[in-house]
Amino acid sequence: MSFLRKVLQRLGFMIITLVAMSLLIFFLVEIMPGDVAQMVLGQSVTPEALKALRESMGLNDPFYLRYLRWFTGLLRGDLGESLYMRGVQISMILWRKVFHSVILALAALLFYVPLSIFFGVLAGVRSGKLSDSVISFFGLATMALPEFVSGVLLITLFSVVLKALPITSVIPIGESIWGNLDILILPAFSVTIVMFGYVSRMQRSSMIQVMSSDYIRAAELKGLPRAYVIFRHALKNALLPTITIIGMNMGWLFGGLIVVETLFGYPGLGSLTMTAIKTRDVPLIEACVLFITFIFVVSTFITDLLYGLLNPRIRFSGAEQ
Amino acid sequence: MKRVLFLFKQRPLALVGIVVILFWFFAALFGPSLLSFTYSALDTDYQMTRPGEGGHLLGTDALGRDILTRILHGSRSILTVALLTSLFSTLAGVIIGFSAGYFGGRVDAVFLRIMDILMAIPPLVLAMVILGILGDSTIVSLTIMVSIAYIPATARVARGAMLTCKNYEYVDAARIMGESNFSIMFVEILPNTIGSIIVEATARFAYSIMMVASLGFLGVGLQPPTPDWGMMVIENKSIMMNAPWAVLYPALAIASLVIAISLFSDFVSKVLIHDS
Repeated sequence: MSFLRKVLQRLGFMIITLVAMSLLIFFLVEIMPGDVAQMVLGQSVTPEALKALRESMGLNDPFYLRYLRWFTGLLRGDLGESLYMRGVQISMILWRKVFHSVILALAALLFYVPLSIFFGVLAGVRSGKLSDSVISFFGLATMALPEFVSGVLLITLFSVVLKALPITSVIPIGESIWGNLDILILPAFSVTIVMFGYVSRMQRSSMIQVMSSDYIRAAELKGLPRAYVIFRHALKNALLPTITIIGMNMGWLFGGLIVVETLFGYPGLGSLTMTAIKTRDVPLIEACVLFITFIFVVSTFITDLLYGLLNPRIRFSGAEQ
Repeated sequence: MKRVLFLFKQRPLALVGIVVILFWFFAALFGPSLLSFTYSALDTDYQMTRPGEGGHLLGTDALGRDILTRILHGSRSILTVALLTSLFSTLAGVIIGFSAGYFGGRVDAVFLRIMDILMAIPPLVLAMVILGILGDSTIVSLTIMVSIAYIPATARVARGAMLTCKNYEYVDAARIMGESNFSIMFVEILPNTIGSIIVEATARFAYSIMMVASLGFLGVGLQPPTPDWGMMVIENKSIMMNAPWAVLYPALAIASLVIAISLFSDFVSKVLIHDS
């Protein structure tokens, strides 16, 4: 009963979070200066045309009516039309951009998860030695680095000096991402450098903790080879906190993607969000931010589940930590 | 004191971090007045000039503005906002987290729910959306927004510190003596948790720099012509092939400050928390 109840509780919480977020955005747009109809038609426009457009967009309706209309649309799976790009269904642009962002996120995960686990374990088992100091310093240094700074450093090296990789990550019109995979390398590595700090530090400290536990000492005293002890005995337990950190940071990763996509001009969810904010395109802002929040909440949820399944001692109390 | 010196010897990099931080503080205070250029002056004879030419030590951007002058000016706003932010978010976090942890029960449950919702949104996304919608950020709105985005994190740390302390005998003793809740929280317990709170504040300082720089980079930070490190990077990205210095030096400024603060904060946590 407790498992099912926790799942339901979590789902309820997810829905509340999403509704709270969408209300917040609607409210902010309500009190902000500026007018969407004005943005669409430009400065030199007659008041009549402005009024007609406001009427046809339903901008004159009261706040709660517009929210309800948008919300019921959402329940039917209809994200509505973009206000700025008139007549364009948001679902038509959103999924393509989300797809691009997911590809980029996967590429980043592919780089940073193995790298940071490997170096974290290395630093953990060689704790106090030179290799540990170097890895730990690098992790500490990059932990609070903005993604665009690591991106600029990579661009300077690989695009400006070596001229080996493209300086922007634009997909030429008419082509798909698959023919242009080289544009993913620098953005993915920019994210990797920043995430490496968190994950490798977590991996290091959990490795140190596990390596000093009694059962590892017992295995070592039994005369088992060190590599065997590390990989078969220690790693299993030492990976648990790391998995949590990776899962918890999925939302952070998507926040970082906004920055990286802006730097490289990559056509993903992040640059779409920025465009939406700059053009005050309410339905588009709603869709983008809700999607990012959704990913964050879902990945936290899955992380909790996974943690419980992997570690029977915890079984779903991770949220209280 | 001896232990601090010993730790310094063990971690010479912490000293480097402190020197770099001090350098940026002095640069922010006195730097701009030492230079012959102003941050918005357009030197039309020297556009996209290499570092060193025409008296421009770090070169110029596409409009002929001096990069060094803009970096030194930019250090003022980012240091101001980041310092205030780490101060405010820690202060608010301590008040909120302490109350939740101290009173427990329903207060704590409500607190946890609200924090869960706020934490379900990546802080950068939250700050970016709100600042972007409100438009025309100033130092004040930037400070408020970044502080709010970080309060959940600081409040959690403060709540945790309160939970470990509130069951000690000296708290019971104070209560029996008839001290008020307020005085127990802030006169009795606060001094005993100050270590972890200072550590949190210094770590927050590094993250604030990161956030302010990222917001400027995304174009929702301080508005031009005020020089902003993050903004300088994105402004000059398009000329990066021909004038990489216009992008690289502001990025290095951010990197040096962030890394220095991280080293410092790591050191502070070693001094105040571990093996003490």
